[in-house]
Amino acid sequence: MKPDEIQRFTFAERVVHWVVGLSFLFLLLTGLAFSHPRLFWLTSFVGGGPTARWLHPWMGIVFALSFVAMFALWIRDMKVDAQDKAWLRAIRHYVVHDKTKVPAAGKYNAGQKMFFWTMSALAVLYLLTGVPMWLPSGVLGIGPFYGGLVNASRLVHYLATVGGGLFLIVHVYLGTVAYPGTLGAMLHGTVTRAWAKMHHARWEGDHRGNS
Amino acid sequence: MSAQLPANGLRIRRASASADPAPGIRQGPEYAKLVDISRCIGCKGCEVACKEWNELGIEPTQNFGSFQSHRDLSPHTWLLMRFTETEIDGDFHWLIKKDACLHCAEPGCLLACPSPGAIVQYENGIVDFNQANCIGCQLCVSGCPFDIPRFNPETRKVYKCNMCIDRVEAGLEPACAKTCPTHAISWGTKADMVRLGEQKVEALRARGLTNAVLYNPEGVGGTHMMYVVPHGDQLEEYDLPADPTAGAGALALLGSARRIGASALGLGLLVAGLHYLGFGPQSPEEDSK
Repeated sequence: MKPDEIQRFTFAERVVHWVVGLSFLFLLLTGLAFSHPRLFWLTSFVGGGPTARWLHPWMGIVFALSFVAMFALWIRDMKVDAQDKAWLRAIRHYVVHDKTKVPAAGKYNAGQKMFFWTMSALAVLYLLTGVPMWLPSGVLGIGPFYGGLVNASRLVHYLATVGGGLFLIVHVYLGTVAYPGTLGAMLHGTVTRAWAKMHHARWEGDHRGNS
Repeated sequence: MSAQLPANGLRIRRASASADPAPGIRQGPEYAKLVDISRCIGCKGCEVACKEWNELGIEPTQNFGSFQSHRDLSPHTWLLMRFTETEIDGDFHWLIKKDACLHCAEPGCLLACPSPGAIVQYENGIVDFNQANCIGCQLCVSGCPFDIPRFNPETRKVYKCNMCIDRVEAGLEPACAKTCPTHAISWGTKADMVRLGEQKVEALRARGLTNAVLYNPEGVGGTHMMYVVPHGDQLEEYDLPADPTAGAGALALLGSARRIGASALGLGLLVAGLHYLGFGPQSPEEDSK
């Protein structure tokens, strides 16, 4: 690590994050393909409709397991505190890059925490509504689910996907082109001190003297 | 429309998960089967004819205390005569139902199917599964108000009665109708079959079966297999839903939700792009100056 760099994510965090992220992307693209005739072509990325339908639930299992690991790794830093509430009140300044009016953030800002908690809730929904669609004839002595339960699951699963997809767009946009220097944290694990001061000043303060 | 439609694609009226209009060339008459339950003697010849014509193979039967051959429909049993034993006015009655696809005008299976062209509806009213396009999701099973399609876990495809479409295309009636020894199954244009059905109902009522009805439920736009039901007040006992609907409840909501959802995601991408153009990247290097 260079002297002006701070470690942001460990190797384990990076691996877990990318398993979550890439499995979610797979699920999002194949899921959208099943949701709308005009998007069915997206299944060709993974080898066609039958393959997409077969892989989607298994990828869902990968997503669920890796999400549990990510949740365990990060929950400690995701507690919402009073400063987060101040941050959320100033979110309109954050959106237009008026950073002088945005309270300093800790390791994660309130927006990231919202993303974390929303995705956690959505992940539970994906699982609960995904299983009846995956195994409609029943599983572990429960079921069959054919009929109204599958149709209701399909609607809820879809709405949850739109929510998760919108969050993902924001997440990827901010993590890549909007804030240069951010992607590196998830690739090689480190950020520059200048980046940390700018985006996570309180967290940067905690790391002063130990780099 | 999908790339893998059947050869008789010109006859298609509607295909699943297809936003495009149908070819609209062939506009032939609609056909229908009329099953007069009052004439059925329960011989199950239609079951055998269905198996033979469609090469569905043998599934061992079990005696489970009923006259019925199999407990349920399956990927290899597209037609099952269901025998319900019941008492009406103190007398024993056998309620027999020819359980197979009703070929709805508004097919719940087709509306639920996410795979382009996996379920097609022909201008003659037949609803057919095109297994080449089936992805095995089984959403059609949940979309069907009559619990007809059956999934084969080995092939990961769903199957059901196709009204012997290969026979119909050649000008023949379906195998079940051909074989029925009591003419309980009639075959003809939908209009003729509705007329015949109404006549049969009138005749039954004149005989004292005042509850007789023609089963051609409106909730699914009418069906291309209709029943003359002698005890029309016992529909549920026959295993016939009194008011079936296509794309009911959550499935209907999904139709509008997916248009809004796809637009929301597209809009999200657009807003991200516009935000970048409007506010640009925020680099720490700038900040340290």
